[in-house]
Amino acid sequence: MKLYSSEHHFDYPWTTITAANWQKYPNEMSSHVIGVDVLRREVYPETKILRTERLITCKQPVPKWLSMLTGGDNISYVREVSEVDLVNRTLTLRSNNMTMNHLLSVYEVVVYRPDPEDPNRTIFKQEAEITAYASFRRLCDKIEDFSVERFGQNALKGKIGFEGVLHYLDSEWIENRYLKHVRKELNVVTQEATEIVSDVTKKTSVILSEVNELTSEVISEVAGKTSGAIQEVSEKTSSVLSEVTDITSKTNSVLYQVTRLVKGGIFRGSND
Amino acid sequence: MLTPHTTYQKIDKMGNILSASFAPECDEKKATYDACFNSWYTEKFLAGKSITNECEELWHEYKECIDIALVKRGMVKMMEEAREEASFENSGIPQNHDEAKK
Repeated sequence: MKLYSSEHHFDYPWTTITAANWQKYPNEMSSHVIGVDVLRREVYPETKILRTERLITCKQPVPKWLSMLTGGDNISYVREVSEVDLVNRTLTLRSNNMTMNHLLSVYEVVVYRPDPEDPNRTIFKQEAEITAYASFRRLCDKIEDFSVERFGQNALKGKIGFEGVLHYLDSEWIENRYLKHVRKELNVVTQEATEIVSDVTKKTSVILSEVNELTSEVISEVAGKTSGAIQEVSEKTSSVLSEVTDITSKTNSVLYQVTRLVKGGIFRGSND
Repeated sequence: MLTPHTTYQKIDKMGNILSASFAPECDEKKATYDACFNSWYTEKFLAGKSITNECEELWHEYKECIDIALVKRGMVKMMEEAREEASFENSGIPQNHDEAKK
């Protein structure tokens, strides 16, 4: 049995890493992974653990001397059980190859946890146990050496590929968040505008109806007063006219009498 | 050093990355389920808003397809052996393994 281990970090927060873990494949550096399937997934509310069983399908070129032992098929299957522990903030992935495992067994444990010194960084720890079961010691060594070397190469490729996915998802999330924000602001502005418009409309209609009422009141008052005044004037005019007529007729009768008296010489006689 | 870039083989109409199923006939059901799960995971589970798996119905549809595919491809025995060796209940830790379960 041989061990492989490595440790490095990602410049992304732990939560981002765990979310990206579900969307890790396909990425251009891990083209050997051709399928990822969720076989079982359970949430444990008491411990806040999400446990997932996945089937990872790989298409990997196998060296000729090894494929003679294993048969020609270069599709291999890996089973992975992972746990997201929200309380302890760890993502642990344990995986085992299911193909060719009578010859070679690879058991890998990967743990992601937040960097205690920097919450925007995530520490990645990978450990693998590689065991070859072939009967010749030297063949075993050779297979193990090849596998360790291969594991190291793939681990590096995996990291680079994952970085690519993280970069893509991060910008996508920022965009989405920004869009959501803009949409929210727009909604608020629209609502405010609608409120203002409806308020203005309401006020305008109140003012208009008030103006209408006042106008009609003024008109009816003016009309009332005008007709009263006209009537009064006409009444007064007619009374004045009748007075004038009266006076005229009185004047006429006085003039008549004066004329008669003058004609009759009354003045003369009385002066005598 | 290789520079990561963002071109992927399978991208859906919404621009999301699609990861394939080992059984192409299950790709669509997988994509539907994955989309539901990913939004539940980031928006609810990580935010501590929901600790119940909300996409279970979609998962059952997808799982049904997978189970048939496993049988068709003669993979059931292989799966059973792996599950016996490192059970789901034991977090995938192999039997007789001295790793302490946290």
